[in-house]
Formats: sequence, C-alpha cells, structure tokens
Amino acid sequence: MDTTLPQRLIELSLYSLKHAENQPLQLNQQTIQQNNNIEAHTQALKLNPQPITLHTRHEETIVAAVDTSNIKIGETSTGTLIAIRGANVWKQNRNFRYLRLGPFIFHITEENKKEVYSALQRAYFNSPHEQNYQSSPNLLQMPMRMSNLLERWLQAMLSKTISSGIILFDGSLSSGTADAPISLMKEILETARKKKNTVLAFSKMTNLRFNGHLITDFQPTYSPPYLLETASLKTKPPIVLLGDVYVAKLTNGNYAFRLDIDKQVPSTQKVEAVEKLLGNDFFLQSYPETLRLAHILCTFTANEVIAMQHFISRKHGVKIVNRPDMHRLLFGPFGRGEAYS
Amino acid sequence: MKLYKKEGNIIQILSFPNETVEKGDYLLIEDADAGKALIAQVIDVQFASIPGILEELLRSLPDGGEVVEGEDFDPLEIAPHITYIQDASLLVCKIRATVENESLSPSSSWLPSRSQSMIKKLSIPTLLKLAKMDGKLPIVLGGTKDASLLTIDASSLDGRLNIITGKKETGKSHLSKLLMLNLVGYKGMVVVFDLNGEYLSLGTTADGKRNAYHDKIHVLTPSQNFKVSLKQLNLHVLLGILIHALHLPGTSTREFRRIWQSLKERDSLTLHELGEAIRNWHCNQLVRDALFSRYHALVNSGFFADDVGGTMLVEECLFKAKERGEAVIINLRNTSTIDRQIVVEYVLGKLVELLSSWKVKAVFLFAEEAHLYLRETYWDDIVTRMRHFGIFTTFITNQPDTIRENIYRQADNIFLFNFTNEHDLEVVSRAARVDAETVKSIARDLPPHHCLALGRVVRDFPMVVRVKALDVKAMGETRLFFKDN
Repeated sequence: MDTTLPQRLIELSLYSLKHAENQPLQLNQQTIQQNNNIEAHTQALKLNPQPITLHTRHEETIVAAVDTSNIKIGETSTGTLIAIRGANVWKQNRNFRYLRLGPFIFHITEENKKEVYSALQRAYFNSPHEQNYQSSPNLLQMPMRMSNLLERWLQAMLSKTISSGIILFDGSLSSGTADAPISLMKEILETARKKKNTVLAFSKMTNLRFNGHLITDFQPTYSPPYLLETASLKTKPPIVLLGDVYVAKLTNGNYAFRLDIDKQVPSTQKVEAVEKLLGNDFFLQSYPETLRLAHILCTFTANEVIAMQHFISRKHGVKIVNRPDMHRLLFGPFGRGEAYS
Repeated sequence: MKLYKKEGNIIQILSFPNETVEKGDYLLIEDADAGKALIAQVIDVQFASIPGILEELLRSLPDGGEVVEGEDFDPLEIAPHITYIQDASLLVCKIRATVENESLSPSSSWLPSRSQSMIKKLSIPTLLKLAKMDGKLPIVLGGTKDASLLTIDASSLDGRLNIITGKKETGKSHLSKLLMLNLVGYKGMVVVFDLNGEYLSLGTTADGKRNAYHDKIHVLTPSQNFKVSLKQLNLHVLLGILIHALHLPGTSTREFRRIWQSLKERDSLTLHELGEAIRNWHCNQLVRDALFSRYHALVNSGFFADDVGGTMLVEECLFKAKERGEAVIINLRNTSTIDRQIVVEYVLGKLVELLSSWKVKAVFLFAEEAHLYLRETYWDDIVTRMRHFGIFTTFITNQPDTIRENIYRQADNIFLFNFTNEHDLEVVSRAARVDAETVKSIARDLPPHHCLALGRVVRDFPMVVRVKALDVKAMGETRLFFKDN
C-alpha cells in the first residue's frame, strides 16, 4: 500500500495541532459530514424513456467503494479543529473487508490553511492540478476540501490496486471544481481503465431535471433492474462531465439514483459493469451495500467526536469551553443554536 | 470520577474504565470549598448514556450480524479514546451521610460542586472509623470486598429485633450461628428454636472435637431430655398451650380452669388425675369431649409426664445460662406441628414468666422459620410486648413473606442474603431502616455467603460482607438421593 498520504497527513495533523495547544476550544458540531456533491450547473437534458434492462451477472468480480467524511470538532480563538476520515470497502469472495484511514485531526487557521492544503496536494498528487483553485480556500470550506483530498487519494489508490473490478464512488463524475480537478479525475479514471476497472459513481441526491421533474422521480412502468439513459447534458465551464449519466433503478421500491459511468468505457462494458455489480453486491433500496458500508464506516458518531475532543484536551492541552450560543442567548427558543442537545 | 446529577438523595457519578467501582462500594464526594463531603453508596452501575453509541454498535455489525473484517489506520490513536468514552459507566449512588468537621449527619440537603468536587473510593475501615463503629463487644462478621474485616458491636443486637433472610443455601443459618455463639461468648443468654436440628453440634468442631462452646450449648429435645410435669406448669402457661396451640374454645377453657383448680387444691396435678377429673367432671358432653381430645394431645406429645426424672428443666438451663452465658437449643426436629406449637408455647410462656418476675434479665431468641410454629398473635407480642420483657428476637427465614410487614417495619437490623425473586425483595424492602432501591439492587447480585447488613449494626451504612467461616460441625444439610459415598 502506498502510505505517502497518511504519513503526510499525520505530519500535518500533528504540526497543526501543536498550534492549538493550550487554547480554549468551543464545542461545535456539524451535522452534515458528507459532501453534498453540489452538482455542476447543467442545462436541460433529455431522458430516454426506453430503459436498458439489466440481467444479473454472477461472474466473480471484486466490488470496491470509497467514501470520506469530515466534521468540525470545535473552534479555537485562531481557527477551527476539524477531523477527516476515509474508508475503502471491498467485497471479494462474498466477504466484505475494509481499510479505514483516520481520523486525522487538523487545526486550521487563516494562517496555515493554504500551507496545509497545498502541502497535502503536493504530497499526494504531485501535480499542478489545482493551481487555479487552491489560491484561497475558505476556512468554512476547509473540512470539505480536506476530506475531498483524502477521497481523491483513496479513489486513486483503489484504481491502482484493483484490477478487473468495479469501483464505486460516492457522488458524480463531474469535474472542474476545486474538489474535483479535471486532470486529477481524468488520471484516476484512466488508471482504473488501464487496470480494466469500471468506475460507477452513485449520487444520493441530484438536481438534474427532465420536463421539470427530478430524473430520479421519473419511473416508467418497467420492472427493475434497469437504467435510463440521459442525453444532451451540457455543463457550464469550467465543469466537465467525465461520465455518462444514467438513472439507475436496481431494486423494487421507490428509490432510484443518478449513476455516472466513466464516459471512456465502451457502452457494452458500462451495462456489463452494472450487471456484474448486481450479481456481486447486495442491494437495499437500490443502493449498493459496499458503498453504504464505506459511508457507515467513515461517518463520525457523536461518541467519536467526544473521544476526539478528549484526545485533543489530553494530548494537546486544549481546554474545552462551552461558550453560550449567541443565537440561543439573544433569541431564546427562536435561536437556531448548534449546541449539543 | 465526575459528579453528574443529583436528584433527591440519589446521586449519579460518571466513572471511567480505569476506575473500578462496584455495587455496594462507598464513595466520598469532597467539596473542599464547602468544607463538607457526601458519603454515597453505589447501588447500581450502568452504562453511561453516550451519544452515538447505538450507531457505533450498529456499525460494528452491519453485515447481517457478522463482523466486517478490516484494518484501521489510526495514526493519532483515537480508538483508545473512543473505547474509553464508550466504556464509561454511570454510578447510581445513594447518599448516606454528610461529613462535616469529622462528624456525620444524615443530611443530603446540600449540593457539592460539580466541577470542583473530588470523588474517591471510601474504604470500609475509614467508613467504620467515621461512623464510630468501635464498640466494646466486637463481633467479626466477616470480610468486606476491600479485604478488611467488618466488625459489629454485640450491643447493637441488644434490645433489638433482627431478621436474617435470603434464599435457600445462601448462608443464613451460618450467620445466625455466628451471632449466637458470639453472644454466648459475651455471656449472653440465648434460646434457639431449632427446626432442623442445625444447632445441635455447635459445641463440636468440624472434625468432631470439643470446641470452646462445648459446655455452653444445651440441647433440649422434647419428650426425650425435655419433659415437664403438670406440677411444674403454671396454669397460665398451660392455658396458653390449650388455647393457642390446641385451639380450645372459651367455654371448655373455663371448665378446664375449674378442673385445674380442683386438682391443685387436692395436690393431685398428674396426667392420670387430670384424665380422671375430665372423665368425672359434671359438664356438658361436648365440653368434655373437647377437653378429652386436648388431654390426649398433651399426653401423646410425650412432652408431659408425671415422672420427669432424668430430664432437664428449662428453668435450670436458663438460670445456668444466666450465670455463664449459654445457649439453650430447643430441638424441634422430628416433632409434629402440634407438638412443636405446644413446646414453643411452653418455652415462650416460661420465658415471659421468668422475665416478668426478673428471675432472668434478658434473652436473645433465635427463631428459624418461625411461621411454622409461632401463632399469629405472637408475632406482634414478640416485637412489641416481649421486647419490653427482654426477649430480643432474631428471625431466620427463606420465605420473607411469612414475616408480617409490621415486623419488617420495626426490625432494627436486617441481614439480607441473595434473593432473585422480585416479590421477595419487595417484601424485605418494606423495612423501615432500608431503602427499597438498595435492597433490590444489591441483594439480587449477592454471591452465596455474602450478606448485606442493614440497620443499627452498621450505623445505617448498608455493607456487604462475606460471612466468616465457623469451625463447628455442620448439621442440617439437605439429605440427597444422588450423593456419592
């Protein structure tokens, strides 16, 4: 395993935490840990109502998934304490296995945010992909940025290490954002292709609409599993779609998901990959279990947040204070405080 | 440990995995600024309510109940912190006292500082010292969990009503023997109603040799070495037997009184003369029949005889016991229910007679499974009236519901062994000197031979003790069919 990223992450984590020592920490909790995958602005698309029916293929194929999560642990007088964690889960020989990295805790300040982020980019991607985007990451966006960085590295690692498999990403294959640079995403997909892998990206939410309705709400009267093909999907620069977009309804029920499949893969291989996924993974509510596990394993629980606060206060002498929430203080029950319940 | 919550006299303390605290332990919550400390006893240990714990547990078993195998790369070593938080426990404690200027008060009306209070375990010897449990007549009950000895004072049993209860084979009789022998050691006069012949060999060691108590244990077996003649009987005692043990109706009792007076005047108080007198007495036939049936019950018991030569008189035993401190064991084994009641009525009547005339100062009475021989009305008598005469009773039972609620309410000391049955615990928890939560929580988890001592003997600081072994010959063991030779 390529351990370059974790090593650099550790170094930066410890380095940044040194600057948090003996500072008071105000508790805070961010409820949404996952990337919302804000979709790139797209123009109207067409949805082929004729479904691509799928036939389950039981050929033994490795299924792997990546997910990361981030959480804000609290605020210091100079910055924010955040934690990120990622998980790779793969299913082989009917058994699930995982590799979980983290949590990595960072003390991000206005002074070090650029340094930390750039250092990680340099260490992991060793390329100038992000010159346009990294200039001034917003402190509030840093948790997401950091976890996306870890996610890309985990995706790259999977695409390098797995062969003839199916790799599941969380979100879309849109690129051209700070979190998903075009060249990096292309590189990940290309590596995957070279190793005869197919990348499938499942989005939990989508804003893509057809005739005014969300594409995932369009459910023809065919029995699943099937795919609905989209066409004429155009994006506004700098967003670039690296995948073909489908609506995937893989089990009975009301759930369907946006599914992006690597554009460069031949059409037959795309369908074949989904059919192999059907034959090699469990599905509940149309969502693959491997990806669900990756999500479950990396998500932070409240218990873990307390443990990390405990770690910071013990190891780095950060004093945890519970400052009054100003919204609560000023507006009472009408305040939208973020305090622990 | 951190102070978490206080509601009434219940205090909740957060405890972490490196702090080993168990049910029954005492904690000292010191507030240095207030100059006071609370003494609290742990009555339950629960998992602390950690946010996200359910997700944590579910996450570990997401694959249809099978653990997902994998590798965690946790460079900052957060996992031990997670485990540390997950394994935190919540100690539910009962406030027992407040310490201020080295003196104890039962108050729990003040609130120690949540942030500044220091919480530490309070060892039993320190607690005993604080509670000033240092009497002149020590009885070592056994060892506590922190390897110290729990010593009570014999005077805390003096003039008190005690109950020893617990389910079968937990060590009740063993404790009662321990208390009894120690009282004898302090020249106490002890009478035991021994239902199963368990106390007969207290004078011999386990290997059959004589022990220090050999000459201080007197076993009286009714109709064998324990008989009474009518001449020795007080009419009052005999009427007690007839009315309460043999249920003689009022009219017949009046006739019996006349017969008795007549025989006494003629100095003919023998069984034979009594039988003849009933036969020839001018009275209603039904009354005669009633008197005859009771007469035959007395004769058939074998307890009454005209010639009692070679048998012991209970008075003699008690007078000897008064001088030297001895135990009189009334062996009720192999005695029928009616005969048992006759003997008990006689002994109790005799005791009251001797005590009320100040011939005897006081008696410690140990009654095993008293519901099997004690009439209903005696229960109240024993705990109220007889206490004033100087009969200080210890009831031993494995059926706590056979002892009336008012007895529990007046009990000064309770020695509680293991009970798992909710109903049994409910009954015991009615005692005035204990709180229901303590009884229900601690007694359920007591191992065999461990008892929860409650009441005056422990200055109202409930304590768990492993009752010490006695080097006496064990009797009263259950006879088994499937037993190796």
